Formats: sequence, C-alpha cells, structure tokens
Amino acid sequence: MTIHDEIDELLAADLHNELSDEERNALHTHLVECADCRQAHQETKAMNKVLEEKFGNEKPDLAFENRMLDGFRNRIPDHAGSSGRLLFNLLHSRATQLAGVAALLLALVQVGRIITGEHLLGGRGESLALELSVAPMEARDKEADFAKSDALRAKKTSYGYGPLKTAQDSGVAAPAPPATVTGGIARPEVAPEFHEEKPAPKMATKERVVVTGSDIPTSEEVAQNPVDTYRRDDTESTATTSPALANRKLIRNATVDLEIVSFDQAVQKITAFANEEKGYVATTSSEKQENGKLKGEIVVKVLPENLDRFLQKIRGLGELKNQTLGTEDITKNYFDTEARLKNARVMEQRLIDMLKKKSDDINDLLQVEKELGRVREEIEKMQGDLKFWDSQVQFATVTISLAEKDLEEAAKYLLKERAQLALYTPEVEKVYNDLKALASPKVQITNAQLDRDNTGRVSARVSMLIAPEESDGVIAKAKAMGRVENFQVQTERVAQGGEAMSENANTKRDKVELNITISRDEQEQAFQQTTLRIRTSGVDEKAKKLRELVEKQGGRLRNSSFSRDPEGREYANVSLRVPMKSYNALMQSLDSLGKVENVSVQRQDRTGGQIDEANAPADLSIQVYSQGNIVSSDTGVIATLRRTIGQSAAAIMWSLRMIGVGIAFLAPWIAAIVILVWIVRRIRRR
Amino acid sequence: MMDANEREVYRAAIHGDREAFEMIIRTHSRPLFAIAYGILQNREEAEDAVQDALVKAWKSRWRVRDPEKFPAWLCMIARHRARDVFRKRRPIPKDLEEHAPSCPTHPVEDTTLELDQQLQTALATLPEVHRAALSLRYFEEMDYAAIENRLGLSNGSLRGILGRALARMRKQLKPALASEQP
Repeated sequence: MTIHDEIDELLAADLHNELSDEERNALHTHLVECADCRQAHQETKAMNKVLEEKFGNEKPDLAFENRMLDGFRNRIPDHAGSSGRLLFNLLHSRATQLAGVAALLLALVQVGRIITGEHLLGGRGESLALELSVAPMEARDKEADFAKSDALRAKKTSYGYGPLKTAQDSGVAAPAPPATVTGGIARPEVAPEFHEEKPAPKMATKERVVVTGSDIPTSEEVAQNPVDTYRRDDTESTATTSPALANRKLIRNATVDLEIVSFDQAVQKITAFANEEKGYVATTSSEKQENGKLKGEIVVKVLPENLDRFLQKIRGLGELKNQTLGTEDITKNYFDTEARLKNARVMEQRLIDMLKKKSDDINDLLQVEKELGRVREEIEKMQGDLKFWDSQVQFATVTISLAEKDLEEAAKYLLKERAQLALYTPEVEKVYNDLKALASPKVQITNAQLDRDNTGRVSARVSMLIAPEESDGVIAKAKAMGRVENFQVQTERVAQGGEAMSENANTKRDKVELNITISRDEQEQAFQQTTLRIRTSGVDEKAKKLRELVEKQGGRLRNSSFSRDPEGREYANVSLRVPMKSYNALMQSLDSLGKVENVSVQRQDRTGGQIDEANAPADLSIQVYSQGNIVSSDTGVIATLRRTIGQSAAAIMWSLRMIGVGIAFLAPWIAAIVILVWIVRRIRRR
Repeated sequence: MMDANEREVYRAAIHGDREAFEMIIRTHSRPLFAIAYGILQNREEAEDAVQDALVKAWKSRWRVRDPEKFPAWLCMIARHRARDVFRKRRPIPKDLEEHAPSCPTHPVEDTTLELDQQLQTALATLPEVHRAALSLRYFEEMDYAAIENRLGLSNGSLRGILGRALARMRKQLKPALASEQP
C-alpha cells in the first residue's frame, strides 16, 4: 500500500494528530510531489473545519451532567439499602446463580412429585432425575436411622441399668451381706456353716472305714485265688504230660487225590507199593465217565510206621492234587473200654459161680441166665471194639482218589441260538396275528402278548421255538412282515458231559428261540436327525410348498406351526419324517425354497443288529423364516445408543413434567404475591 | 489499561455503589451523548437516549462481569437505545443507505441548499459506526484508542473508518465547500 492509496486515512489522522513522526514526514513529502493528494488535503482540511464548527455548536451545555444525574435520581430513587446490596452481591456471584437455578428446578421437581404422588416405581428413564431427588431423601432416612438407633441404644442402656438397679434395690432390701463382709465379724459368720456341716463328713469317714474293713478280706481272698488256680493248673499239666507216648493208641489215616494218565497202571503200581510196605489193598472202585475217562478210589492199609514212605512213593504216580494226613487219638476210649471189659469179665465169672451154687429156684436161675447173657453181649461188643481199634491202630488207612487226565472234557456240544427281532410296522395287530399263524409242529409259539396302553399305543411280543432246520425260513418270513429295526442272534455252545474243552466232541444244533417285538413305527427312533433353517420371503406359502415336497418324497409331516413376532418376522416350524432313501433328494429340493442355513445332522449309531438303512426314518425339523434382522435388534451399539437416548429423553420429559406441575402449583401464588407487591408499591409511591 | 482507581469505581458501581455510579454518570455522560447524537443528529432525542441508557445500565449493571469493560458496555447500551429511538422515529428504507453514494451525481441541486443542511444529509448517509466515531472525535476530541475502546472496535481500525468518513463527506460537500472557501 502506498501513501497515495491510503491518502484519505492519512489525511484524517494527520488532522486529528494521530500520525507518528515517520508517517507525517512521509505524508508531507508525498503531498509535495502529488498534486491530487494536495487537492485532497486542502478539501479534507476544509471538511474538518466545517465539522469542528458544526459539532462545536451542538455540544451539550455545562449543565448537561447535572441534568443527567437529576434524571437518573428521579427515575431510580435511592431506597435500596445495604441489605439490597448484599443481596445483589450474592446474586451477582455466578455460582450462586447456578445453584439457585438448580435449586429452583429441584424444588419444582419435588413439588411436582409431591403433587402427583409419584414414587420410585417409575421406569428406568426416571432414574436420572430420581437420583437427584433421592439423594436428600436417603440422607434424611439415614438421619432417621441414626436417630432410631440412638433411641434404641438409649433404651438398651436403660434396660441394662434396669436389672442392675433392681438388684441394688433388692440388695438393699435384703439383709445386707456386703455389710457383714466389711465388718470384723465376717469370719465367725462364715464359720458356723462349717460347724454345721462337719458332722456329715465324719459319718462318711466312719462308713468308709467300715466298708474298707469288710473289703480287705475279700480282696485278700481274690489275691489268694489266682495262686490256687495256678497250683491246680500245675498239677493238671504235670498229669497230662506224664503218660508215655509208647502206650498211646493212635489211628493214622491219609487221603490223597491224584491225577494220573492211566487208571489201571496206577492201580497196579499202588498194589506193588502196598506189598513193599507190608500193607495191602483194601478196596478199589472205579467209574467210567461219559467221555471214556476213568476215575476211582483205592483204599490201602499199611503199617503206620511205613505210612510216610508209602505216601512218598505214590506221589510219583501222577500229579498230586490234594493230600491230608490225620491222626486220631483213641487212647482214652481204648483203656476205658479195656477196664470195663475187665469188670464185665469179673461179673461174668460171678454169675457163672451163682449158677453153680444155686440151682433150686428156677426163677432165680432164669434171672441169672438172663443177666449173664446181657453181660456176655457187652463183653463181646467191647472185645469187638478193642479188636477194631487194634486193627485200626495196627494199620494206617490211605484213601487214594485217582482221576485220569482230561476227565472234564466235554462229550458233545449243543448249539443254542437265540434271536431277537424288533419290527416296526403301521399295523401291529396284523403282524402279530400273522406271526401266530406260523405255528406248526416244528414251530412252537411259547409266548404271545399284545399290549395296548391307555394312550392307544400298541406293541406286541411273540416268542417261539423253531426246529433248527426250519429256523432260517421262519426268521426270513418274520423279517418280511415289517421294517426291521434290530436283529440280533446270540449263539451259545453248551457243553454236555463235561465242562472242559474237547477237540473231538461233536456239536448238535438245538431249537432256535426267537423273540419278536412289534411296535408301531411312530415310536421308532429316527436313524438320523437333521435341523436346518430356511431363510425366505413368504413363509406361509413356502411352508405349504415344503409340505408338498415332503409328500412327493414319501415322507410324513409330524408337526408344524406358524408364528409371527411383533417385528413382523414370520416363522414356520415343520418337523417331518422321510425314509433314508429319499433323504438326499429332499435335501436337494429344499434349496428351491430359499437359503438353507444352519444345517446340523445328528446320527444315532445303533449297536449291533442289522439295520435296514434305506427304509430307516430320518427326522427333519425345518424352520422357515422370513428375512429380517437375524441379530436381535435389542443388541448392538446403535440399539444401546437408541435406548440410552430414549431413556434420557424419558428422564428429561419426566423432570419437565414435574417442573410443569411445580410451576402450575406455584405460579398462581407467585403471581398473587407479585401483584400484591406491585399494588403496595403503587400505593406507597402515591 | 485503565488505572486501578478507575477500575475500582467501575467495580463498586457494578456491585451497586450508587455514588460510584453517579460519578460515572458525571464522567461518561458526554461521550454517551456524543454517540447518541452521532446516531440521532438531534440533541433532545440524544439526551433522552442517554438518560434511558443510564437507567437501564443501573438496572442491569450486574450483567457486567469485567469492570474494565464497563465503559464500552455503557456505550453499547447508549448506541442500542439511540438506534431504537432512531428506528421508531423514521424507518429508513434500506436502499437509501445503499444509494447514498449516488448522491454526489446531483451536486447542482445540492449547492442550492444550505451548508448545514447538506452536512446533515451527508452525515445521515454514513453508517452508524462512522457517525458515532465522528461525533466522539469532534465533540470530545478523544484520541483514536479511546474511541476504539468505547465503540468496541479492533485496534487501529478507527483510522480507516474516520478516513473514509471524511473522504466521503468531503466528496459530497465538495461544491458547498468550494463555494465557502474562496
């Protein structure tokens, strides 16, 4: 910018003395050079002069300020005192103003609440405003609580004092023991009690003395007793240990179980061993088993002193399965019997003497004879016993049980077949009757029952025994009667004539036992279960089309429902069952209905049995639904934002309402007060 | 920057000190009158406007938070008041202001008028701020910085305003001036 361009400003400023020295010099230099600017300078100077004159004329007079002051004083009378100023100062502070506004709003809200009788029951939107108003209330409640607890405490303490006081009272009322305690006579007062009680302990000690006195001898007796018993024991033990072993009568016997290869050879060897040991074979017995094996028992008598050696020898014959060695002590019985025998002999002699002396009375004679007979009988019996014992003691008895190897081998096998068949059919009763009709001499029905429960479900069970040659045919016939859900055959080989395995035993087929259960096919569990969703528009129409598709594929509709939610989305739930063979075709045709989503297939593996997979049912549950928000509209940032805004808007609306109510409540009063003040002022001014 | 004493007076006035406010009336009435007169070009009306402005200022003094801005605030009230009065008196069609520069095209007619009349007309064509600035300058002979402060103008802008106002005036009044100055 050059001076020439700014000439107007510079000229004015120059006239008003607002230029710096530099600027003024520059301006005047330019004015010398530039004729136009000089012209302008002249004009501006003239203009300035005119203006100075004009404004100089119009200047307010000297009394102007006073007029202003008077006017001001007239219009604003000075009656607002210092209190007004204080109020003004207070009002002037912004914090006070804000607090005042907030307090006013709050007060209005509270007034509104009081009027409408609204409480904390409101929705979430109100919480914001409510919190504000609740805070003081809580504080109030707390204070109240404090007050309560204080009161309680006070009560408690008073209760606490109560008993104390009564105790003191009663203490005062009662003949005062504390006084006696403090008094010097305290001891004597306590002492009498002791004196009174003393006689009793004395008696007790006396009694005790008596008791102990009587006790001592018994305890001494007890102490002596053990000594006596010991002595007795000693005598007894010496008595039992004293007899010599040599005189003892002992019966020894042994049993041996042996498994041997050949029974006959073993018997020969045992006989030879018995002879070697000065013994003999008492008995042999043998038995032939069904499978041709022999088992038997040999009783050998040997001299007791040779028994051990004999047992050693026969062990070598085969495998020792079991051996027992026993000794029976018959010493006492033996000698008793011997003694009685002696007596009986004496008796016999006497009777014989009597017979010789007295022979007059036949009666007596008979009596003696009779008595003699009885005694002789006894003697003979005792002599027999003694002889038996002697023989027993003389020889030890060895009982040898012999069994050839593989004795348990089975003679033959019976093949038992047990078949379980589970059938599913729409007509349970027909199949049941058909099965019963299969009965023939070779097919025997053992059990048939038809069950119908109260819900109308029918199931049947048929058990039959089939001759082996017929079994395959009958089972095939039964299978053809319905859809086989499960077929299991259990084969059992039952060994006969022995338990052990055998290579050469032959096997025979037994009757086949067939158990058939028949149930209605609705009850059948699906072979596989599929759930899927189809997203499409026009749910109802598509659901209808789906039903048509299913019928075309030989499936059956089991259940279907249709619903529409508040947001206008439609859902059709269809559950259906198709045979496995048309499952894939159906799945493919579903694509024509819409977008297939969330396909999940669950297959239940059946254990064992043969499953007719092509005809097995497959369950499908299909949800057809209209396009829309798959994600719930209740979630997400925008929804949250929307909810939040909604809530805050509700809160604001609520507080507005409350403020409105408050204003409506207070406004008439305020207006009345204002009008009153105004009227009073008017009257005072006049 | 104003001195501490002056500032204290303003503060006291804001806080309701009547004496302080009367002191301010004494010292500030004339600039206020200058502004009002610049706008209204009429002494009686200007006086009334100043009076009203003072009363209004007293009543709403608590609105001023910074005592330093009190003078400018007073001037603003006076300007508003003067403008209200001016509008009530004669609602000027907007195009009059716009067509104002075309006035010099009829200098022949203007020359016949009295200089004072012409001056009045020329002043009336100026924008309000220009007129206020001119009157403050010529009534009170205030320096540029003070005027800028009162009128709430930015630093240094007054020079342009006054320069343009004077140039416009002198161009409009050229014939009359020429005749007056031989």
